[in-house]
Amino acid sequence: MSLWVDLHRPRSLDDLHYHQDLSARLRALASSDDFPHMLFYGPSGAGKKTRIACTLKELFGKGAERIKIDQRVFLTPSKRKLDVNIVQSNFHIEITPSEVGNYDRVVIQEILKEIAQTQQVDVSARHRFKVVVINEADTLTRDAQAALRRTMEKYMSNMRIILCANSTSKLIAPIKSRCLLIRVAAPTETEMKLVLDFVAKRQGFGIDPEAAQEIVQDSGGNLRKAILVFEALKMQSPSLTGPLSIAKPDWETYCHKVADMIIQEQSPERVMQVRAKLYELLSHCIPPTIILKTIADRVVDKVDESLKADIMHWAAIYEVRMRVGNKKIFHLEAWVIKVMSLYKHFCFDIDMDAFD
Amino acid sequence: MTDVESSLFGAPTSLLGELDTISDDSNQATTTSQTTSETFLLASGLLGGPGDNGVNRDSFGDATLLNTAQETSDAFGAPSLLAEVGLPSFSYNGLLPEATRPTRPSGQPQTQSQDSFSFGSATLLSQSQDDEFPPVKDILRPFAKTNTSVTNIGASSSTSFLQYERASIRATTLSGKSVLLKRKSKKIDLPSHVKQNQQKMGNLLEVPMHRLLDELSLQTASKLAEEDLNRPPTSTVVHTKESATLWVDRYKPQRFTELIGDDRVHREVMAWVKGWDYCVFGKGKGKSVKRSRTYMEGDSENQDERMRPTEKILLISGPPGLGKTTLAHVVAKHAGYSVFEVNASDARSASVVDERIRPALESGSAVGSTKPVLVVIDEIDGATGGTDNSGGFIYKLIQLTQDRPRKKSRNKSNGNPESSRPLLRPIICICNDLYSSSLTKLRQIAKIIRFQRPNDLHIVKRLKGICELEGMKFEGRALSTLVGVCGGDLRGCLNTLQLVKTKISSSSKSNQTITESIIRKATSGMKEAESTQATVLNDLFIPMSKKRVKDLGLTEDDEAKYVTRLSRDIDACGGIDKVAIGCFEHYATLRKYDSTFSRFLKATEWLSSFDILSGEMRNEREYSLLAYLSYMLVGFYPLFSERGNEKVERPKADWEHFQLTKTNEEIYKSLAKNLRLASSSRHSPSPGAYRHFATEPTLQLEFAPMINRIINPPLRPVNSQVIKPEEKLILKRLVDVMVSLELRFVQDKSEEGQNVYRLDPPIDVFVTYDGKRASDIQVSRYAVRHLVASEIDAQLINRQAEDTTDKKTKPSKSAFFNNNNNKNSNDSSANPTRPNKRTKLDTNSSQIGFEEKIPVDFFGRPIVPKSKSTTSNSKPTSKNMGSRKAEKVKEKVTYKFYEGNSAAVRKPVKVSSFL
Repeated sequence: MSLWVDLHRPRSLDDLHYHQDLSARLRALASSDDFPHMLFYGPSGAGKKTRIACTLKELFGKGAERIKIDQRVFLTPSKRKLDVNIVQSNFHIEITPSEVGNYDRVVIQEILKEIAQTQQVDVSARHRFKVVVINEADTLTRDAQAALRRTMEKYMSNMRIILCANSTSKLIAPIKSRCLLIRVAAPTETEMKLVLDFVAKRQGFGIDPEAAQEIVQDSGGNLRKAILVFEALKMQSPSLTGPLSIAKPDWETYCHKVADMIIQEQSPERVMQVRAKLYELLSHCIPPTIILKTIADRVVDKVDESLKADIMHWAAIYEVRMRVGNKKIFHLEAWVIKVMSLYKHFCFDIDMDAFD
Repeated sequence: MTDVESSLFGAPTSLLGELDTISDDSNQATTTSQTTSETFLLASGLLGGPGDNGVNRDSFGDATLLNTAQETSDAFGAPSLLAEVGLPSFSYNGLLPEATRPTRPSGQPQTQSQDSFSFGSATLLSQSQDDEFPPVKDILRPFAKTNTSVTNIGASSSTSFLQYERASIRATTLSGKSVLLKRKSKKIDLPSHVKQNQQKMGNLLEVPMHRLLDELSLQTASKLAEEDLNRPPTSTVVHTKESATLWVDRYKPQRFTELIGDDRVHREVMAWVKGWDYCVFGKGKGKSVKRSRTYMEGDSENQDERMRPTEKILLISGPPGLGKTTLAHVVAKHAGYSVFEVNASDARSASVVDERIRPALESGSAVGSTKPVLVVIDEIDGATGGTDNSGGFIYKLIQLTQDRPRKKSRNKSNGNPESSRPLLRPIICICNDLYSSSLTKLRQIAKIIRFQRPNDLHIVKRLKGICELEGMKFEGRALSTLVGVCGGDLRGCLNTLQLVKTKISSSSKSNQTITESIIRKATSGMKEAESTQATVLNDLFIPMSKKRVKDLGLTEDDEAKYVTRLSRDIDACGGIDKVAIGCFEHYATLRKYDSTFSRFLKATEWLSSFDILSGEMRNEREYSLLAYLSYMLVGFYPLFSERGNEKVERPKADWEHFQLTKTNEEIYKSLAKNLRLASSSRHSPSPGAYRHFATEPTLQLEFAPMINRIINPPLRPVNSQVIKPEEKLILKRLVDVMVSLELRFVQDKSEEGQNVYRLDPPIDVFVTYDGKRASDIQVSRYAVRHLVASEIDAQLINRQAEDTTDKKTKPSKSAFFNNNNNKNSNDSSANPTRPNKRTKLDTNSSQIGFEEKIPVDFFGRPIVPKSKSTTSNSKPTSKNMGSRKAEKVKEKVTYKFYEGNSAAVRKPVKVSSFL
């Protein structure tokens, strides 16, 4: 059977647990004849995709839930073959262009053209248009975004586009201006507790409010994570009693270890040790920006007030460099050394440059 | 007595007779023995050509010996007597050695007979092989010259024989009576007709054949030796066209002994080439084969049926200018081959192999030469097709060496027969970079010989010799400097010397000595020693050694100016990214006592600007920026370089990290694929439900750690029958989750040989950091995993069974949709555990409705059930099968296969029931 996250996912706008006003608005939009292009944005685990699915159901009825998964092969201009998984129903199609990296433009163009050029054949369909859902729109390359802008206008009669992104900052303005922006905020703690209670009830047991509180606090507004943690907790200790230890993701624990190492000692040997740990993290495919952020958060927690701003400042600078460059480890280590040096200067409270 | 017989018997007996005469009259004997030996050889060689001549008679001294028993004294009457008496005596013995026995004293006969045997064999030998002549002669000569000399044939026996010869002879007659035979002093007064005969023989050939041959061979040998001696050791001085040839060609070693460098390497090459002798030259050259084989004793058993070396190709590698090509040519010449060379000037496509090399190999020898061919493929590292499998030069070459079984060539459409011919001639390949990617395949099958830079002293010595020959004066240090600058490259040295010489001679001061400074000037533009990533890294972190500074002839100031020098080196080495990684990996190990990290800060600053610059350069495709990249790394020199720094190791951490990342990425990919497709089967209420997890950061950050916890519940390893109800719930849930995510436990053997269950895909690596699993996840034991695995299997079997039952709903579209809608409505209900049970019920009911329709054939006639399968219904067979299967499945028969148990149930099952 499926995981709780999936099992207890709301299927229709009415089932949604929070952001009721947003649900009402979506319902109104779906029932109107004038459905716009939309851009859902908000933090991870807030319920964007759930809401998109609910909206589709509201638009087309149950047919939108009958999904099939195809694997399509696209040919790049350089004759490379791209395998893309496409989720589609009779009424919509869903793509994740980030799967193909730099070739997303090819995929976007092909699919949009195909959709735009085919009329809805089902006469009983409620709407004449089909919907294209583009996940992770903020990872679209500039080329792909540029490819979107004209088609969005041109094929309005046959097609609507729903974009889903974490932030709008990486989307070009022309696209933003063509969409109805819908922000899906992270749920509040009480809302999340409500959801956990609901899940527990459907699974046939009660959840201790304290445990719920802990889970919610740990997840930081990410409901998906909260439910996953909840299920893991239930699996690990079925009774859900006694002292609960919320399982932190391992990479996070590891990042904290690295942060502690930085604070404990500042020496060239320690630099080497930290480097080994960073390599380990990177090889587990943890995004380097996340690594940097997690470590920086932890370091900032531990150091004196006057250092915090500096550390974050440098973290930001090195994150920018990291995004531009290729070798992430260079920048991560550069930041680590920067922090070590800052920390050392602070501890001895003297300008030690004169000694070297 | 016939001619044939007499001549046959003449051979040994003549020898005996000869001995007789020797003992009597040594003076005469010398001549006679000479003549007899010759004549007898002639006689025996011709098999009794001049049968009844004087020689025979003369040699019948022995016959007289035989006949003394018959009281015959006239030696020359012997033939007639022998005709009377000899015949009967031979007749009962049949063989000559035995025939002589009766006349011998009882103590000696055995040795005597042996002697005659050995002589006999000698004659036989002499008949068969010409070159065995001298030994026979040698054997005979000592007898002739001195009676006492003990020859090398049957030493003991011959001495006793000789002793016996001097004493009076004791003999035992056939009747047992012993007779003492008085020695007959024989006056050999050769009658005239005998002398005439001898003369005649002599006239036949003035000097005997073997002597002629000997002389001839001696002559040629001496001529060759003279030629060799006359030639000055390292030059074929052709002063006339002095300026026309390069010194490199002029002073090229011509003989094996002139090669400089490691003798062992040279000999190894020679031994390998010699290893082909048997195959190339055949058995005739037995001697050389033996020698070469004893040289490579270890290899001898590895040789194949054609007695070729195990490795059919020799690959010589080494830096340029050390004489690899020369070695190959010299060795080939020395071993008697003519060289067929293919080098970089030829096209390097696979067609070369087919069009040129193969014909050369198969014809066996070059056009217009009798010598067998030896193929030298020079500069093979520039050839194509080492990596890919089809059509490349190297691939073809390797194919050439393999004696492919006939089967393969038959498979080929054209089936060209010559492609299966085995390789019968040696191939020598020469390369500079042994580890270039194109040679990967070749390396595995070739015998590899690495050329090292020869000792500088040897090179200097050779250069000195050349300078003297060219009449150049030089300073002692100049040549060693030259060798140092060239880095042992002989060709470079020679070219430089020639350049210097022409320079000097063109200028007025033609008698100038070569000094160090001249050499420096001449080599200033020369490329320095090959800069590799390793050397560049070392240069960055370790200041130049004093010696090197001197070698390069830099002043203090020059040494201090490092930027240009280092950046040029970095550019030259090619892999600038790798140098950067090397810097990154190395710098933190230095300056251990950097209290403020000031150097480290600067270093990281350099590195990150390097990375940004190179990143931008690639993104914007502005490759003109490449010129500036190297300056980003020069900064490490003032920061970290120190005398006595350790040598930089080859950077490997980054590569290991890269490898690890790749494997982990693969695991993520397979997991993501599973997630995307996981619930797309009909069992899931919502296909594609997990696809949201498969997106990039969510998968790594949230899903991977948590799913590991979810699938590792604390279960006790107990039998599934006695499991507690709450645990059973957990187990069921676990199995459900794992099945839906397509996670499996796969049985495997650990390194210690224990059975383990491995997770597949191995997503547990995501909770394993530094080789340790997260502490809050229980280590699931073998027994637990076994339990889970068997449960998963059971579940899968159930599913398959359900799949088959589901099939029958397929023909009816409407039923399918109904079914689906039902499913969806089920989802919202509180108990979604087994929607499939319900669907089964639904399908059963719909099935009934379906069956009630009377099947009709194409013409609309109702069909009796027997011929149901031929109905015109669109999917009649599948429908039938479906219904039949439904009945089968109701019985719920499951089979389990016990490994190793042969008493498994056997039952005819149709293939369709597995589908």
